[in-house]
Amino acid sequence: MKPPVAFSILAGFVLLFAGCDSADPELEPVLLDVKMAENIPADPASGRDPDTGASISNNLFTLYDLEAGSILIPSSQTDAATRQRDSTSTAWDIGFRGTTIIFNGGTSGPGEAAAQLLAQPFAEVTEAPEGGYVADGENTSCPQVSTPVGPVPGSPYAICTGSDNGWYNYNPATMLLAPIPGRTIMLRTASGNYAKIRILSYYQNNPDPPDAAAPSRYYTFEYVLQPDGSRDLTSE
Amino acid sequence: MRPICLFLALVIVIPSVTARAQQIPADSVRADSSRVVEMSPIVVTATRSEKALEDVAVPTTVVLAETMRMQGALRLNDVLVTIPGLALFEDHGAGLQVQGFAPEYTLILLDGEPVIGRTAGTLDLNRLTLQGLDRVEIVRGPSSSLYGSEALAGVVNLVTAPAAEGLRGALGGRFGSFGTTDLTAEVEAGRERAGVRLLIDRYASAGYDLTPASFGATSPAFTDWTADWRSRFALSDRVLLRLGARATVEDQKGAFALNDDGVEVRYDDEGRRVDWSLHPEAQIRLSDRLRLTTTLYGARYQAETRYRRQRDGELLYDDDFDQYYLKAETQFDAVWNGRHLTSLGGGAVRERLGGSRYGPDADGDRPAANQAYAFAQHEWLPLRLFELSASARFDAHSDYVARLTPKIALLLRPADKLRFRASVGSGFKAPAFRQFYLAFTNAATGYSVFGATRVQEGIAQLQAEGAIDHLFFDPATLEEIRAESSVAVNIGGSFDPFPRLNFSVNGFRNNVRDLIEAQPIAQKTNGGFVFGYFNLARIYTRGIETNATIRLIAGRQSRLDIALGYQFLQARDREVVEALETGTVFGRDPSGREYRLGLGDYGGMFGRSPHKATFRAAYSHTPFGLTASIRGRWRSRYGYRDLDGNALANRDDEFVTAYAVFDATVTKSVPAPGSADAEVQFGVDNALDVTRPTLIPSLPGRKLYVSLRLTL
Repeated sequence: MKPPVAFSILAGFVLLFAGCDSADPELEPVLLDVKMAENIPADPASGRDPDTGASISNNLFTLYDLEAGSILIPSSQTDAATRQRDSTSTAWDIGFRGTTIIFNGGTSGPGEAAAQLLAQPFAEVTEAPEGGYVADGENTSCPQVSTPVGPVPGSPYAICTGSDNGWYNYNPATMLLAPIPGRTIMLRTASGNYAKIRILSYYQNNPDPPDAAAPSRYYTFEYVLQPDGSRDLTSE
Repeated sequence: MRPICLFLALVIVIPSVTARAQQIPADSVRADSSRVVEMSPIVVTATRSEKALEDVAVPTTVVLAETMRMQGALRLNDVLVTIPGLALFEDHGAGLQVQGFAPEYTLILLDGEPVIGRTAGTLDLNRLTLQGLDRVEIVRGPSSSLYGSEALAGVVNLVTAPAAEGLRGALGGRFGSFGTTDLTAEVEAGRERAGVRLLIDRYASAGYDLTPASFGATSPAFTDWTADWRSRFALSDRVLLRLGARATVEDQKGAFALNDDGVEVRYDDEGRRVDWSLHPEAQIRLSDRLRLTTTLYGARYQAETRYRRQRDGELLYDDDFDQYYLKAETQFDAVWNGRHLTSLGGGAVRERLGGSRYGPDADGDRPAANQAYAFAQHEWLPLRLFELSASARFDAHSDYVARLTPKIALLLRPADKLRFRASVGSGFKAPAFRQFYLAFTNAATGYSVFGATRVQEGIAQLQAEGAIDHLFFDPATLEEIRAESSVAVNIGGSFDPFPRLNFSVNGFRNNVRDLIEAQPIAQKTNGGFVFGYFNLARIYTRGIETNATIRLIAGRQSRLDIALGYQFLQARDREVVEALETGTVFGRDPSGREYRLGLGDYGGMFGRSPHKATFRAAYSHTPFGLTASIRGRWRSRYGYRDLDGNALANRDDEFVTAYAVFDATVTKSVPAPGSADAEVQFGVDNALDVTRPTLIPSLPGRKLYVSLRLTL
C-alpha cells in the first residue's frame, strides 16, 4: 500500500462528507488508525515428544510487517531457503517466538529498527519519544537476574525478556501469562517510521477472562503506525 | 466440669501461680470474660509454663471446652472462625490466617507438640476434633523463640483435658444437614495417682454441591475417625508420667469432570489420610524450685490421592505423601524466688519424607533432615507493676542456615484495671519440603523445579543429558537456603473502665524477609526454564485488633455476655508498594482503558480482608439449664485473582465481595434416668444461607443440626 494514495483518497472522502465549509483540511490533525493484529502465531506447539509428552515447537520466529498488516513468514515456515530470503529483508518489523519479541535491527535483522518499552498507557502516548530506542543486542539496561551469587545481566533484547521485566508477567499459581497493563512498545521501524504497540493477549482468540487452558503463543496486539516519518501518533 | 484443680494439683506447678490458680472455681472460668468477677484462666502456650491469662505479656486468647460446646463447635475451624482477628484461609483445606499470614506460618500444637501433615502449607483444621479438649489457646505474634519454625504468625495449642477422678462415660451424637454426623464415646477413669481417658469420635459428611450444573460435588463425602488416649500416672510425689496417643483415619470420596476436546470425562477422586502420634512425657520435681520435663514425641502422616476414570477405572493420577516426625526434648523450669523464673530446654528432631514427589536422591536416600535446638527463657517480676520476660532459641538444621531467634516481652500494671503489653520478637519458618527436596520435571510443558538440596545434582544430570542450553549462573556457587524470618512488634493492653466491661486492643507490625520464591537458574534446550528456590521477597503486615466484652445481666440465675471484635489489617508486598510509589503500575478496565494505580488502589495480598468484625452473644439461665448463643462474623472484600495483568487485586471483579455469616445454638439440659446428665442442642450455621459457590467453596449453605449428649 502506498500511503500517499490512501491518504488522498481518505482526505477526499473527508472533504466529500464534511462539506466545503469545514476548515482547511491540511490544518486538521490526521487521525491515524488503530490497527489490530489477531492470533499471530509465535511458535506454538507443533506436536508432542512421543517419549516425554513434552510439547515440541519449531523454535522459529513469526516475522510481521506492520505497514502491510500481515505476516511475512510464519513460525510454521520451516523451509530454510525461504526463511533465509525473507528474514534478511527489511520488509518485516517485529518478530515473535514464545514470549520473546524481536525487531528488524541489531542482532535480529538487517534493518534499522529499534525499540523501547514505555511505562505509559497506550492511549496516552500521542507522540513517540525522540530518543531512547535501542536495537536488539544493544540493550544494556535489562533487569539483572537476581541470584544468591549476585545479579547476572539479562538478555540484551530491546524489550527485555523474562516475567515482569518486559511486556508480560507470569503467575505460577494460575499458570497465566498476562501482558502488563500500562506498557507500550515504541518502535522505530526498519524504514524509519514510528509506531506504538500494545500486546493484548498471548492466548488464542484473546479469551476474556484470560484462560490458561487456551492454546498459548498466539499474540493479539494493537498498534498505531505513523507512515510519514513524523513522531505524531494521534489516533482516532 | 473441667478438672483444672486436679490437673494443677498433680502437675507440679510454679508455686506462685499455683496459689492463684487453685482458687479458680473451675466451672466459672470463661474465655474472654471479664476478670472482675472471675479469675483469669491458666494458659501454658505463651511461656511454656502455667500462667494466668491476664498476666501473659503477649496477645493470647483462650476458649474453654464449655464455650466450644455451647457454640456447637466440632472441629478446630469451627471455633477459630469465631475469634476476633482470625480468619480462615482456604487452600488445600481450611487453614488459619493470623495477623494476615498464610496458614503455613502458624504452628498448630496438640498438648504442646506439633501436629504434622500440611498440604501446600495448609494444615487442614477440619482434621482436628474438639472432643476431649479442655481448651484451645491462641497466641498471636511470633513465638519462634520458644517453638522454632512455623511459629511466625502465631501458635494454636489444643490442650486436652486430663482424666478426672472417678468413673465417667459420655456419649454424644449430632445429626445435621448435608449428612453431617458426629458420634462420640468417651470413657474416663481416675484416682488420685492415676487416670485414663479414651475417646472415639466418628465425624462424617455426605458432602455438598454448590454448583449442581457442573458434575461433581463442591465438597466431597468423607468419614473421619479419631481415637485418642490420655493417661497420667504419678509414680511418686515427685514423678508424674503422662502418655498421649492419637490415631486418625479419613476416607474421602468425590468426583470431578475434565473437558477433553469438548467431551466431558468423569473421574472419581478418592483420598485417604492416616496419621498418628505418640506422646510420652515425664515430669520430675527435683526440688520445690526445680522441675524437669522430658518429652518424646513421634508422629506419622500419610496421605494418598487417586483419580480414576469412571468409564474404565483407569488410574489417571496418584499421589502419595508420607512424613515421619520424631522429637526428644527436655525442659528445666526453675523458680529462683518469687521474682525470677527460668526455663531452659533443648532437643532434637528427625524428619523423614516419602511419597511420589520426594523420591530418593542420587545416593538412593530418602529425604531426611536432622535438627537440634536449645532455648532459654527468663521471667523477671521485680514489682507488682512490672514483668519482663526474655527468651531466645537456637536452631541448627541439616538443610538450612542455623539461626538464633530472640524475643522480649513486657507487661505493665499501672492500675488494677489497666494492663499494657509490649513485645518485640523474631519468628521464622523453615523452607517447606518442596523447597528442600522437590525434583520435578513437567513432561507436558518442559520446565523443571529443584529444591535446595537437589538443585546441584539435578542441574548436573540435565547437563549430562545435554538438556541445558545455558546457565544463568553456576549452581556450584549457590548459597545455602535460609529460613524465612520476621521481626514483629505487638503493643496493646486491656482496660476495665467498669465492672463487667473490658476493652482490649493490640497493634501489630510484622516485617518479613527472605520469603522463598522460585526463580529460574537455567534455560533448557526445549526453551523451558529450570527453577530453584531463593530467599527473595519481603512483605509486611500491620494492623489493629480490638475486642470489647460486656456482661449485661449478671444475676445469680442468668447472665448475658456480649463480645464485639474488630480487626484492621494491611498485608502488603514491599516490591509492589515501591512500584506503586514510583508510578509504574497500571490497571486495565474491561474496556481496555489503562490507568495509573496509586497505593490506595492496592487491595493488599490476596485473601486478606482489610476489615473484619465478630459478634458473640451468649445467654444462660441456670434454673432452666438453658444456654443460647449467637455468633456473627463479617469480613470486608478481599482480592482473589488478577484479571488485568498487573498481578494485583485492584479491579472490583478481582475481589470477593464482603459477606457476613451468622450462627446460633440453643442448648438445654433435659431429664435423664438415674445419675446421668443429658443435654440437647439445636443449632443453625450460616443462618442467612450466604454462599459464594465458586469463590468460597468451603462455605456451604444453611446448616441445621441437633445433638444429644449423655454423661454417665
